[in-house]
Amino acid sequence: MNAYAIYALKRLFQFVLVVFIGINLAYLITHLTPIDPVEQTVSAATMFGSTSPEAIQMMRQSLRELYGVGGSAFDQYVTFWRRVLVGDFGPSLSAFPTPVSTLIGRALPWTAGLLTVSTIISFTLGNLLGGLAGYYRDSRTLKAAGIVAMAVHPIPYYIIAFVVLIVFGYLWPVLPISGGYRMNTAWGWNTAFALSIITHAILPVASLVLVGIGGWFMGMRSLVSNVVTEDYVTYAELAGVGRGKILRSYVMRNALSPQVTGLAMSLGSIFNGAIITEQVFGYPGLGTLLIQAVHAGDYSLVIGIASVSIVAVSVAVLVIDLLYPLLDPRVKVS
Amino acid sequence: MRALRRLALALLLAIPSLPAWAQEPISNLPRNQTLIVENPEGTIKNAGWFNIWAINAGGQSTGLHQLAMDTFWYIDPQRGIDGVWMNSLASDKPVYNADFTEMTVKLRSGIFWSDGVEFTSADVVFTTELHMKTNGMRWSAPFQINVASVSAPDKNTVVFKLKKPNSRFHALFTVRWNAVWMMPKHVFEKVVDPLKFDFNKPVSLGQYVLHSYDPNGKWFIWQLREDWQRTTLGRYGQPGPKYVAYVDPGPPDKRVIAQLNHELDIIHDTSAEGMFTLAKQAKTSRGWFKGFPYAHPDPTLPSVIFNHQLEMFKDRRVRWALALLIDIKAVSMASYRGAATISAIAIPPTGTHTESYHAPMEAWLKDFELDTGKRKIKPYNPNIGKEIADMLRPSMGDAIPKSADEIVKSFGRGWWKPDPQAATELLEAAGFKKVGNQWQTPDGKPFSVRIVVEGDLRPIMTRAGSMIAQQWRQFGIDARTDVAQGTLVDRRNGGDFDTIISWSVETWGGHPDLSFFLDSWHSQFVSPAGRVQTPRNWQRWSSPELDKIIEQIRTVGFDDPKSLQLGQDFVKLAVQEMPVIPLMAYNVFTVMDETYWKGYPSAESDPYTDPVPNWGNSRAMMVKLKPTK
Repeated sequence: MNAYAIYALKRLFQFVLVVFIGINLAYLITHLTPIDPVEQTVSAATMFGSTSPEAIQMMRQSLRELYGVGGSAFDQYVTFWRRVLVGDFGPSLSAFPTPVSTLIGRALPWTAGLLTVSTIISFTLGNLLGGLAGYYRDSRTLKAAGIVAMAVHPIPYYIIAFVVLIVFGYLWPVLPISGGYRMNTAWGWNTAFALSIITHAILPVASLVLVGIGGWFMGMRSLVSNVVTEDYVTYAELAGVGRGKILRSYVMRNALSPQVTGLAMSLGSIFNGAIITEQVFGYPGLGTLLIQAVHAGDYSLVIGIASVSIVAVSVAVLVIDLLYPLLDPRVKVS
Repeated sequence: MRALRRLALALLLAIPSLPAWAQEPISNLPRNQTLIVENPEGTIKNAGWFNIWAINAGGQSTGLHQLAMDTFWYIDPQRGIDGVWMNSLASDKPVYNADFTEMTVKLRSGIFWSDGVEFTSADVVFTTELHMKTNGMRWSAPFQINVASVSAPDKNTVVFKLKKPNSRFHALFTVRWNAVWMMPKHVFEKVVDPLKFDFNKPVSLGQYVLHSYDPNGKWFIWQLREDWQRTTLGRYGQPGPKYVAYVDPGPPDKRVIAQLNHELDIIHDTSAEGMFTLAKQAKTSRGWFKGFPYAHPDPTLPSVIFNHQLEMFKDRRVRWALALLIDIKAVSMASYRGAATISAIAIPPTGTHTESYHAPMEAWLKDFELDTGKRKIKPYNPNIGKEIADMLRPSMGDAIPKSADEIVKSFGRGWWKPDPQAATELLEAAGFKKVGNQWQTPDGKPFSVRIVVEGDLRPIMTRAGSMIAQQWRQFGIDARTDVAQGTLVDRRNGGDFDTIISWSVETWGGHPDLSFFLDSWHSQFVSPAGRVQTPRNWQRWSSPELDKIIEQIRTVGFDDPKSLQLGQDFVKLAVQEMPVIPLMAYNVFTVMDETYWKGYPSAESDPYTDPVPNWGNSRAMMVKLKPTK
């Protein structure tokens, strides 16, 4: 077996281990929470109406049976893994009997779409501008861009999001501040729906890009500043190679490898970022679903969402790990 | 570099054109025919589920129970369109036999489901029998406990035979927020498992039908039925809005922005600060009261709830001492920024209660004497509502009402005078003592009180709890708040608290009968310590005197004047015993924008219903609203 295959197998084993431990941790934490889904449901169902205490007690019993939250901890754990192995997280306890997978399937495309687009934009723009700033060190425009990037980067995300919201939603109300698309727009592959989705995504994406771009910018500028002092760059300059070609083929390409690793690592924060973005902008997706599930004590749904994010992040890291030796010949898998 | 500069320039030039293509109306429905309402349930994760009889499987106040459901009767928490009691699917009030073991209901004729099928007694019998034979539906338990059999002698008559006497059985079918909604027999009789049926698209018994909804649960649009006359509200004329959209506008600040942009006609609730911003900046926005406190006092009574199963709260003198250490003016300022409607008695100061309870009992409260062990005091100060108004007037100006009547409606009447000396005497009489600056319980332990609050999920109540903790602490009690964000329900139900800021008093609002909450206060329902308590006696208070009152209420009719007398007896007992410290009404900052619609309910001119739009009763608004454009 060649060295790369051994390397790939090792990484695959690590992937399986991480997913297994992650899902178990999610299971353990959700089952240790003091929030009882039955109590939450009973409370929500009876908080306004006139239901007698006897009836409520009977309702409580019925729900325990319906939700299947009885049985020993071991039995529940075994049942859980039996289901998970076939991709079934069971019914949501706060939207019973709708399956968890249905709820996640409905929300996931929004989160994945929003955060993938914003990550790609901030990664591309940040690295491009950072690379230029590191190479053209005398450019006043790029110096100014560096100052802006440094100033914006440390500001907490929710502050940026709120400022964006106030400016474009209230002071100069040109963009929608809530939802994923315009109310009563029919779903479909048509221009009106596509435009509606784009306009509703502008503010959430812009806020994520504003916060994310600074890190990539500063990282790339720093890397390029080091690369430009390398002998092969000096040699290329002396050999009369054009500056644009030097930047593209010699400087940026070499400086990009660590950034790609950083991209893989940042995928983990994609799912964290979803929660605040969706709350602030009322954007549909997994973040809103997760918060609702936590408050309702719906541990089936919490585990489902946590598992999806664990698997997604682990897969992304695995793919990057497997591609890395192929992309960068300096990395020796042996 | 040049390319980069060109790109930056192009982007800069593109910005001014942003409004041209990005700004669009909130929906493609005609705005002057569409009422846009906040749904406080937020985003509905299971948006395509409309089977409201399955417990919490989907949304309720998405318009589903306000516009598409119906039942026998409604009691309005305010004055009602033509009276507090509304016969809806029933043509008259319930008729009981002498011992309350049988209830007969006469149905209104000429009412049709939205698919053209006539509503009859067969639907009622089906609804009842399905709940009786199916566990786990929303109203299965009350039907199974109460109903022996149900029959339909003709298509407009239903007879319920009950397992035991129940003079309040009709409450199950009487909307105060919600009630048992009737099921369409012709739809559900074909369903194998009613718990797994989504009822999408719902067949409506109300004036509207589902037009469309967001699969992500952000909005639901309802359209006026063409045959709206064949519904129970048809007799009041054509509803104003052709479309009603229930939306999730996001957190309070975004609701304010949405209304300032005229994209949200009714805010269900916002913060006090949000309300004040709208009052100042939006000429077309108004609350229930035109001026301060703007908010609608819901028939719900936030209180300091003691855990009576703890030794330290078993003595009423201790509970009274803690009440006399509260400065309600400071609590009002801290919680609602002054926009609270206070109540000294265990009845919400709203709807018709002010006439049934607060006004008639004022003289009794003024004369009420409390024995501190050393002397007798009269703890009631009838002027606190006025004092709060006077306190706010310098900063709020004309927004503060001037007449005594308006002040009473807005801020409430009186409350207990802060009296640390009397509190000291009461605690000492109960065996407590002060050592240095710290009070100790009779067994020599520090007098420590944790006040459980809900944190950011309910900031107004949390701020009230913090202020009370501060006041008790200044007196030498080791008091502090304990934030139970997300776990309040479990801690409250499980009795895991010393005191809690919550409510165990909720009433009809428009009817003096107190059984809505009071029946559950009977000692027969109090759980042992450590076991889950069923609503609503969270304080787990057992009182033979109270049991006697409740048992008497059970034997008299709903509208019997004796019921009111017994209610007043309860109020007196609750003042003497102080099982909870009543604070104020749950004031809801519902804000209505008059840009597109007029005819909203208001305290001053037309209090025909509670404006809070997640109530089933809010359907009354649709027939009163008229377009402005």
